[in-house]
Amino acid sequence: MKKTLLAAGIATLLGSAVTADTIGVSMARFDDNFLTVLRNGMEEFAAGMDGVELQIEDATDDVAKQLDQINNFIASGVDAIIVNAVDTSATEAMSNAAASAGVPLVYVNRQPINVDTLPDNQAFVASNEIESGTLAAFEACQLLRAAGLAGGAQGYLLMGQLSNQAAVQRSKDVDDILGIDMCNFITLIDRQTANWSRDEAQDLMTNFMSSGEPFDVVFANNDEMAIGAIQAMKAGGMDMADVVVVGVDATQDALLAMQAGDLDATVFQDAAGQGSGAVNAALALAAGEDVDQKVYIPFVLVTPDNVGDFLSRN
Amino acid sequence: MAETAHGVGGLKYDHSKRARPPELNVLIALVLIVLVFEALGALLMDQSFLFDTRGRFDSIFNEARLKIIILQVAIIGIIALGVTQVIITGGIDLSSGSIVGATAMIAMSFAQVAEVNGSPNPKAIFGPWAMDLPVTVPVLVGLACGVIAGVINGVLIAYTKIPPFIATLGMMVSARGVAKWWSKGNPISFPTDEYAAIGAGMTPVFIFVFLAILFHFILKYTVYGKHTYAIGSNEAAARMSGINVARHLVLVYTIAGILAALAAVVLSAKNLTAQSGMGIMYELDAIAMAVIGGVSLSGGRGSIIGTCLGALIFGVIISGFTFLRLDAFYQEMVKGAIIVGAVVLDQWRQQRNANKS
Repeated sequence: MKKTLLAAGIATLLGSAVTADTIGVSMARFDDNFLTVLRNGMEEFAAGMDGVELQIEDATDDVAKQLDQINNFIASGVDAIIVNAVDTSATEAMSNAAASAGVPLVYVNRQPINVDTLPDNQAFVASNEIESGTLAAFEACQLLRAAGLAGGAQGYLLMGQLSNQAAVQRSKDVDDILGIDMCNFITLIDRQTANWSRDEAQDLMTNFMSSGEPFDVVFANNDEMAIGAIQAMKAGGMDMADVVVVGVDATQDALLAMQAGDLDATVFQDAAGQGSGAVNAALALAAGEDVDQKVYIPFVLVTPDNVGDFLSRN
Repeated sequence: MAETAHGVGGLKYDHSKRARPPELNVLIALVLIVLVFEALGALLMDQSFLFDTRGRFDSIFNEARLKIIILQVAIIGIIALGVTQVIITGGIDLSSGSIVGATAMIAMSFAQVAEVNGSPNPKAIFGPWAMDLPVTVPVLVGLACGVIAGVINGVLIAYTKIPPFIATLGMMVSARGVAKWWSKGNPISFPTDEYAAIGAGMTPVFIFVFLAILFHFILKYTVYGKHTYAIGSNEAAARMSGINVARHLVLVYTIAGILAALAAVVLSAKNLTAQSGMGIMYELDAIAMAVIGGVSLSGGRGSIIGTCLGALIFGVIISGFTFLRLDAFYQEMVKGAIIVGAVVLDQWRQQRNANKS
């Protein structure tokens, strides 16, 4: 009995060793909140599957380091690679390296510049960035109209890192919404970068307020900056019922701020869904199956009405 | 050339050099920068930079702007007080920004509330035992982190004799690693009200001003201060005159570590969150504040007053740019140019002084 058990044990060990799929993952950075949720989503999803092993590396926002990591993955014979690109315009070299070695590659969250010319065994899993800024800005516009400000409203725009595609896109989304007839009653007093950071946003907002210009709305490229702006406005004695604040990401801190009545709208980007989607795509490619080369996980607008549905998700 | 005509061998008593402390130059620069913003404000914005032209405040000043100018540099200013002392000894501390990140994470995880909006804290790091602790616990834990990091820095520099640049570079990388590892990159949020009070309103400014006054007197009037300058001016001479250089260096780096840790506590309390990316580049801003304030990178010269003025210049520039609604791209360019400009001036001043004496 013991021997059979032992033999069975060894067999399973060997078996799993032979069939285990190893996926190398290179994340742009480990200390980003959203990317951490995404990374945890991948890990949990992989842990729930038999024989899938993830080797996750931190590229610390260094393009060259990321390429080295990918080449190391290829050299150690992984079955597939998932890349969260540090610089979305530097993905050509990664695609080439993986393609020439015949290793499947999946880009996650950040759209590679060569997304339309990806080799056959490569794919891109993310949310369509245009949706996020648009959803939030349009909700702000509707809230302002509902508040009877359709005759004219002023606002500020807090931007993420200017070198980042998402920041550029989300700011452009705000501009686009403010350009449509229904919303062109909103004018921006100023736009500045707070580098995605709560602390910088807090100081920036206080600086804005020091000029004494009245305003009705604050658009933030992400929730952290929206929270920073809220903290500054509260410290300045403003009533959060009088100003519309919208962010993007639906982080837990933001959802709780929404519950408290401070934040008016944010946009849920399914980080864990992107993570599991990327692992799925990588496994399918490794097994030689056909995969859609662009997999889009939809954004969802979060308002006080549906905030309860998202509290435990990001 | 005029010098050679008047003084023989350069041994001339120079009134301009004696009567004008270097801090005065920094103060003049600060006033000039403010005047530039006032002029541009009147010209472009039809608004005053520092004065209240719209009757919003009781005083003649735009109090809101005066407050934010100091508030936004208070936390890095606290770090700069420690960095100033390190630079005066002829060293450098690149690790303060990372110490801020690691300390914020560790301290904040002992400052959490059990319940947010009536449900359990979603960002809880430890079990119920670490919830709603008295505020002294996270503060002491935070300061302990600073002591540990500072002692390691100091011992490495004083006893293994590796250059401060390398020792603190190592700490910069390792402490950032600790910050990320502590909660696997997850942010830590929702502190108790008592902890939040440390960073609320103008409290960071009060802490900064109190520490600045404290260290001004310590550096000026105590043996500790005299030894700090002596080591920076001439380490060998300091050793000859009986100063325990190694022990003193450990002390200086430990104080710098504690101040960075304190900045982390204030920063996380102000933001109601700790994130592993906190404090990135703070070390460079702190060094820049000191250098702009006339602290010499070659050691032996500089003062807390100078560093505070340097910090104010930083604050005025940040607020001034936002006031003028200057495009974000230009802000970074100009900020960089000002830092380099300050060092160029410092070098030039040093050379001139060397030629004179």
